[in-house]
Amino acid sequence: MRAPPREGGFARCHPLVTFAYFAALVVTSVFSLHPLLLGLTFCSALLYALLQRGAAALRLALLFLLPAVVLTALINPLFNHRGATVLFYLADNPMTAEAFLYGLATGVLMGGILLWFSCMGPLFRSDKVVYLFGRVSPALSLTLSICLRFVPLLKARFGEVSMGQRCLGRGGQGGPLSRLRVFGRELSILLSWSLEAAIATSDSMEARGYGLKGRTSFHTFRFTRQDGALLGLIGGLFAAACTGIFSGAWEVAFYPKIAVPPASPLFVCSAAAYGALLLLPPLIDWKGERQWKRSAVSD
Amino acid sequence: MEEIRCERLSFCYPDREEDALREVSFSLSAASFTVLCGRSGCGKSTLLRHLKASMTPYGDRRGEVLYRGTPVDRLDLRTAACAIGFVQQDPDAQLVTDKVWHELAFGLENLGLPTPEIRRRVAEMASFFGIQDWFHRDVYALSGGQKQLLNLAAVMAMQPQVLVLDEPTSQLDPIAASEFLATLAKINRELGTTVFLSEHRLEEAFPLADRVMVMEGGRIAAFDTPQAVSAQLSRAGQAHPMYLGLPAAVRICAGVQPQGPCPVTVREGRLWLDGLFPQGVSRPALPEGDTAPPPPAEPALTLENVWFRYRRGEDEVVRGLSLTVRRGEWYCLLGGNGAGKSTALKLIAGLLKPNRGRVKVADGLALGVLPQNPQALFTELSAEEELFDALADLPGTDRARREGVEEMLALLELTDRRAAHPYDLSGGEQQRLALGKILLRQPQILLLDEPTKGLDPFFKASLAKLLKSLLARGLTLFMVSHDIEFCAEYGDTCALFFDGCIASQDPPRRFFGGNSFYTTSANRMSRHLFAEAVTCQDVITLCAMNLTANSSGPESGAPSSPPPSSFC
Repeated sequence: MRAPPREGGFARCHPLVTFAYFAALVVTSVFSLHPLLLGLTFCSALLYALLQRGAAALRLALLFLLPAVVLTALINPLFNHRGATVLFYLADNPMTAEAFLYGLATGVLMGGILLWFSCMGPLFRSDKVVYLFGRVSPALSLTLSICLRFVPLLKARFGEVSMGQRCLGRGGQGGPLSRLRVFGRELSILLSWSLEAAIATSDSMEARGYGLKGRTSFHTFRFTRQDGALLGLIGGLFAAACTGIFSGAWEVAFYPKIAVPPASPLFVCSAAAYGALLLLPPLIDWKGERQWKRSAVSD
Repeated sequence: MEEIRCERLSFCYPDREEDALREVSFSLSAASFTVLCGRSGCGKSTLLRHLKASMTPYGDRRGEVLYRGTPVDRLDLRTAACAIGFVQQDPDAQLVTDKVWHELAFGLENLGLPTPEIRRRVAEMASFFGIQDWFHRDVYALSGGQKQLLNLAAVMAMQPQVLVLDEPTSQLDPIAASEFLATLAKINRELGTTVFLSEHRLEEAFPLADRVMVMEGGRIAAFDTPQAVSAQLSRAGQAHPMYLGLPAAVRICAGVQPQGPCPVTVREGRLWLDGLFPQGVSRPALPEGDTAPPPPAEPALTLENVWFRYRRGEDEVVRGLSLTVRRGEWYCLLGGNGAGKSTALKLIAGLLKPNRGRVKVADGLALGVLPQNPQALFTELSAEEELFDALADLPGTDRARREGVEEMLALLELTDRRAAHPYDLSGGEQQRLALGKILLRQPQILLLDEPTKGLDPFFKASLAKLLKSLLARGLTLFMVSHDIEFCAEYGDTCALFFDGCIASQDPPRRFFGGNSFYTTSANRMSRHLFAEAVTCQDVITLCAMNLTANSSGPESGAPSSPPPSSFC
């Protein structure tokens, strides 16, 4: 089995904090086409992915993201002929440097956001998702939990069923048609078996009082003072970044000519806030790690 | 104080002519531990389900079940959910949620308790059951024994006064089953919860019980202390239908000297034997002729230095396994849980490929594999159609097929259940039907994975009879099992699988006679007097030989009476 991703301090936060963080991040990062901000988004994502998963993250970045970035950068000029700096003509169509750069910028942005999403997986363990749903609808969160229970159960049962068919000397070989027939048969066994077992499940639910009025939704999370402080910090950084967005300080014009606005104090402040927001998870993890090491030494 | 009272309870399932319960009356006092036993289909589950209103089956009911004086179907829903806890057979099917902690909290959520209260009760339960180490795990990652303990803990979190359990250990291996029963005893002893448990493993359940209830054909046949019930059943001797299910000490006592107080545990049995032979025994071993030399048949199946691991970087599960199974032999592979026995079976079956080494099947011999869960094979709507389905893609005329199916139904003793839906058959019948499906494919070597799991002692005996008749037809059997008693009784060769290969291999007498822990109860009880007495029948025969030898004087050397026909 592959080792599970390392759980840093940030993964241990209350789900509301994790959720607020990613909401803030996604909203702000969409507006970060400024080269400096783009670099921040992408590099911090790469840094965090490396910290989380080590070299495996690099493989994703090189094999999947890099080609995607190059591709968007190359494709955009083919369809977009705006821009003043014509590099060359392709079948009478002008290929402009601005269109190329715009493609590159959106590619990097997309890559950065995708990388951030890949970092979210280990942070949103299933019980966090169930908890967040529970805040909206307890019934929905229970359904989700039951589904999460049933997926591996059905998978295991299906494995057993298909083993059983092979015990009868069926499956494994033969053309696509006969394989399809065996698959259909296996599915039907799985279905009747599972329906039969579901009766026991519903008995077990009812025996433990399912259906009584006033069901509550339990969770193992505690909203600590640190969570509160972190939520406040995220809110503050988000607000600061938003002032930059709404005042237009982050705007970059690509057409007809690239115009990066001079760095106003507002831009510097909001960009710093955005950078701090991006580096928050690695910083928290690093702090947790350091604390852990110190406590281990003093032991 | 009286906790549960059952008054003249009769019950009939719809569309059945015979009553499943007939005028059952009894009462359970508070904090008692009652073990309910009886053959499959005697009405145990039906009775237990009547104790919990939400699980009561649909049908024609007369009489009443009262919880502290109130009929259970008139309790208010909240009390009904909390006061009486129910644990079922299948560990997997009872779990509702994906996380261990959520499962523990599920009942409490339903009661509408606030989070801090749930947190406290869940913490309590997890500590009591020793669950804290796997508290945050996904339930699918647990072993069968852990799942069933979790089911028990989830019910206990609701603080029931009465705990009803319907064969909770039938799907567990022996070690997990002991652990489960020990936890149950702890609950009864330390919390004073009333326990009503139906169980086939009487060897372990009898010592825990205050009272034992025996059911037969929907009636209560006996309801008394374990000693008194044992004595009562002993008097009926081997003829009693419950005989096969009783603890070894009771069976041996029944076979030797059915009067007087009856030993129940191995310890009591040992002392009882000492009392029977105060001067020791003059004939410690069975006559030589009884242990047949291994049949010099040619090998049917050979494994040569087989290695296997599931994924790269993991430890090998099978490490240099070599073994030979001869034609017409019944070979039993025993071993602990998760030792890799099932993996070895899959390697032989060709369902997995060895990383190294060879699996050789003698020329012309076909393999058949019986999977652990018979449900994994069932596709059709009736037992008969299941058997026809096995023949569907084989050549043959319709008439030949019909004859084959008829013959198989007769062999499986399922002729009168032919129209039943496979899922409506009992566990033992399902097992036999699955076996029939495999046998119709005409294998010469049959591989069995834990064939006795979940079977009651009577079905085990009938399965053994069926397998013996197949051996007589020239079939070779390779069986993977936890069931020491079953292997000792019926196997030709027993092998202990440990650390990925065979640690020891011998005929059952020598195999179990040489072990001191991993052996049958009869052997543990008598090993200080007798050599290589492994089954109850061995001990009974030896006792009888020595009793006659003692009574006719030490020098007479009475000709050993032929052993009574093998029964237990």
